[in-house]
Amino acid sequence: MTSARTLALVASVLAGAAACRAGPEAKAAQIRTLEAERQQEVARRIAQAGDNTTKPVAVWIMPPELREISGLASTPTNHVLAHDDEIGRIYEIDPKGGIILKRFTLSGAPHGDFEAITIVDKDIYLLESNGKLFKFKEGGDGEQVDYSKYDTHLGHECEFEGLAFEPDSAWLVMPCKNVSSKGNSDALVIYRLPLPLTDSPRFTTLVIPMSEVIGSNSWKNFRPSDIAIDPVTGNYVLVASHEKALAVITPGGKVVRSEPLPPGHAQAEGVAITRDGILIVSDEARSQPADMMLYRWHQ
Amino acid sequence: MPVLNSLIDVITMKSEKPMRRLLAYYGILAIIVLLIVYLAPGLLNRVAAKGLAEVSTGPGVLQDALGGNATANVLAGNSLADLAVTTIMILLGTLALMLPVTWVYMSARPIPGHSQTIVQTLLFLPLVVAGIVYIVQNSLALAFSLAGVMAAVRFRTTLRDTRDVVYIFLSIVVGFSAGVQSLAVGSLVSIVFNLVILITWRYDYGRNVLTPTANSQWAGPLHVLAGPTGDHAIPDRDLVLSLTPEKAGALSDRFQRVSKKLGKKKKKPRFDSVLSVRTYDVPAAQAQIEKILQEKTKRWDLDEVVTNTGKPSEIYYLARLKKSVPRDEFLTAIHENADGVIDSVDLETRGAPLDVKSGTIQ
Repeated sequence: MTSARTLALVASVLAGAAACRAGPEAKAAQIRTLEAERQQEVARRIAQAGDNTTKPVAVWIMPPELREISGLASTPTNHVLAHDDEIGRIYEIDPKGGIILKRFTLSGAPHGDFEAITIVDKDIYLLESNGKLFKFKEGGDGEQVDYSKYDTHLGHECEFEGLAFEPDSAWLVMPCKNVSSKGNSDALVIYRLPLPLTDSPRFTTLVIPMSEVIGSNSWKNFRPSDIAIDPVTGNYVLVASHEKALAVITPGGKVVRSEPLPPGHAQAEGVAITRDGILIVSDEARSQPADMMLYRWHQ
Repeated sequence: MPVLNSLIDVITMKSEKPMRRLLAYYGILAIIVLLIVYLAPGLLNRVAAKGLAEVSTGPGVLQDALGGNATANVLAGNSLADLAVTTIMILLGTLALMLPVTWVYMSARPIPGHSQTIVQTLLFLPLVVAGIVYIVQNSLALAFSLAGVMAAVRFRTTLRDTRDVVYIFLSIVVGFSAGVQSLAVGSLVSIVFNLVILITWRYDYGRNVLTPTANSQWAGPLHVLAGPTGDHAIPDRDLVLSLTPEKAGALSDRFQRVSKKLGKKKKKPRFDSVLSVRTYDVPAAQAQIEKILQEKTKRWDLDEVVTNTGKPSEIYYLARLKKSVPRDEFLTAIHENADGVIDSVDLETRGAPLDVKSGTIQ
């Protein structure tokens, strides 16, 4: 083959390939269409579910980057923020459309044992298991956002896996998964941290006897892995991955109900409730990939 | 392949130098990579740098475990099509990286001749390794299963040259890097490996002047042939047994040719030295060298001219220096008359006769 023919061949291949390049706008439009179709389908399933709060209306399989999905937080637009266990990276997900809308990362993508997330107006708080809080603003897709770090100094008292914001009292609510102090070993301990954060905050602690939390269930313990605030009643909704359980507790400490989670939850690590009455539970990957299940939520 | 060769010819202006051709290949590969980055941003991250893929942007479709439809599966991050594309990219990337390694393996060898089995293994092995690693990924259970399977399917082989083992290791490295979707690491390792191999081969790096090497492969046979017993014993039994009949025949012809030059048995050797000259310009170098040989030796004879591409050609002379001419003076005279055409020159002179008994075929 002569040099000219070779060059002509290469040029034609390049031109053809460039012409075939699909525009990102076309793909985005395709995804928007799919999202709308799915939202309609989920709405239909919710209507079909009626009073059944144990049958999932949607189950979304998480991508490998979210195999250790840990915390969930509901946004004012009924989306959820989710995050991975190890990297300070936040994902905004449309739970009814099954679409990851965007991802943004804390500046420098810090590594840690991130366990829970919550939204306070325009601020987002991310909690490490040792009680350290990362505060930052929402970022655009692919952006890195600056953050400030705050140590609650509660890490030596307990291991945290849940965080929620109680708007009525402006408290950050942090249930204890494992209590270090012997006095509270038979109780569910929930720390409440007033906002704004100060150098010497005045915590309030809610201590609920474990027997009340367990109730008539056969569990030996209840170690909460995440917490959400019911937007209607203001009750605390807790999930425990080890016990595969769910408990609803009033801010005053009265146990409204505690019950097993519906079947199919391998390791429930996140919980959120949207304003339009959807309970969302996320599971870390084990033998199955990580997922996010949606249920109707009634009080 | 003809298209690729033609492209490389165009870029290198038909140069036969391995280094130029290698750089031309990597240049073409870089253009293809840039093209992929332009046409399908993010596609390369799946195989080249998995860590970068984690910070991908734009909307992503989650798989619907309850219902789902064809569109969703096509768009979803973990669809079958996605898996197939990633796997094909991994395999093609592995091949693209290993192809120049096989070229280097075949061309940059101190001893002419290579094993076709190893050349083919260098292409196949990383494909298999990449496949295995891609399947195992982070699963401890799969890793243990793999160890069990490997224990059942045992294979052992002995490689003749230590360098062959290194090539095999490189193919495993490239396969691993492809399997963990980090071909960027594998590509850098293989590129640097190829360049280092070519440079060390080009300059004969690490050659021990006391040990007969490719440049002076006649020194050993000369010792034996010129030995006091003159029984034409061959010093390395394993070497002879590893030869093909064709190579043995060719070697035999060479011995006979040298034997004729050395003269009759029991006579004093006619030559006692091998002069090896490396040059890019064989005729000019011959003219320069032969003037000096005429002047400084008792007798000399052109033994062989080995024409190389990509590195200097080699000329071998058999010679017997005049008693009044020491080795250094002889070499200095050649250097002074080199006139810029001689790359390097070496003279190996026969020392004490070999112990012929220990060098015979056992």
